[in-house]
Amino acid sequence: MIVAEWKPLPELLAGLKGYKNLLLVGCATCVAECAAGGEREVNTLAPTLHMALKNQGQDINIITRTLERACEPEFVEELAEIAPQVDAIMSLSCGIGMQLIAERFLDKPLLPGVNTTSLAIREAPGLWTARCRACGDCVLGETFGLCPVARCAKSLMNGPCGGTRKNGRCEVDENTDCIWYLIVERAKARGELESLNQVRQPKTWSNSAHGGPKRIVREDLRS
Amino acid sequence: MSKPPSPGFSPEIVVLYCRQTLDAEAKPPEGTRQGDGFSARLVLLPCSSKIEAYQMLAILDKGADGVQLVACPEKACRFLVGNNRAERRVAHARGLLSQAGMAEARLELNRAAELTPEDLMNLAGRHAGRIKDLGPNPMKGGTN
Repeated sequence: MIVAEWKPLPELLAGLKGYKNLLLVGCATCVAECAAGGEREVNTLAPTLHMALKNQGQDINIITRTLERACEPEFVEELAEIAPQVDAIMSLSCGIGMQLIAERFLDKPLLPGVNTTSLAIREAPGLWTARCRACGDCVLGETFGLCPVARCAKSLMNGPCGGTRKNGRCEVDENTDCIWYLIVERAKARGELESLNQVRQPKTWSNSAHGGPKRIVREDLRS
Repeated sequence: MSKPPSPGFSPEIVVLYCRQTLDAEAKPPEGTRQGDGFSARLVLLPCSSKIEAYQMLAILDKGADGVQLVACPEKACRFLVGNNRAERRVAHARGLLSQAGMAEARLELNRAAELTPEDLMNLAGRHAGRIKDLGPNPMKGGTN
């Protein structure tokens, strides 16, 4: 899922200065799963903002909505009726949803309520860890299903580095596994350790974020 | 956040209590009751974990002077972890209250068992006593 987290409250409050009517929008998909921008978080942030602003002498009316998917135009259209009644829109959806909302309601300032941080899984209740960086050239087939791009602090394609701790954790963060340690362990368990000695072609980075905005075209699906 | 006591201030306390904290013989009290210098709205919950942080925040945002969540003692939850979840949610909500410039003491959690309706009112009264030092909720008469 796409993972996000709330921006610090002082930053949110600073952005709301002067507004009287706010539409606070959440998304019931990824950001709901990571407890940053679903209906529950919208309903938590609304009274928090209202109380904080009132304590600062600003009375604001906050209308809340949670879209099924903020990254699909059809769902964003649900806001068309309510948008004219507000001065600004704050979105707790990921950066994709935020941009779609901003594009649809060009006359309304769009305030980001969250920072979109990673593509992650819920590893345990209350713990999300990155699994993918959308690098555009997946190598999971060569690394036993463990991603060195997203899960190695240095994104090493040939690891482990010299910094692996004795307990198999990363030198950068003792709470994080060294992914190359796990890759080697998984290769050993499969009896395929030798496969890691094969010389592989350099990874193609041209399809990653470095090549400018990506555009995927499927002629068979175009209208 | 702490203000001088307001003369004539009668705190309105919302008491959210788990059914299992009551004495087995007690009839679960509900609705608003008048105490000595405060009023308490008693709300019955099947488990203290059935209340979410946003609901506790909304109650305070709408002007209640204090919210008290009454949960079962440690390791005595009929749903095993409900009271611990409630405790974490109260801590989360108190953190948000603090960031919003509200006295986090307006929201508190109590662990108790075998309560009578009078015991519940006594708990609310003690919370009201602490709220009196804080003064009325500044959100009273808000727009949301």
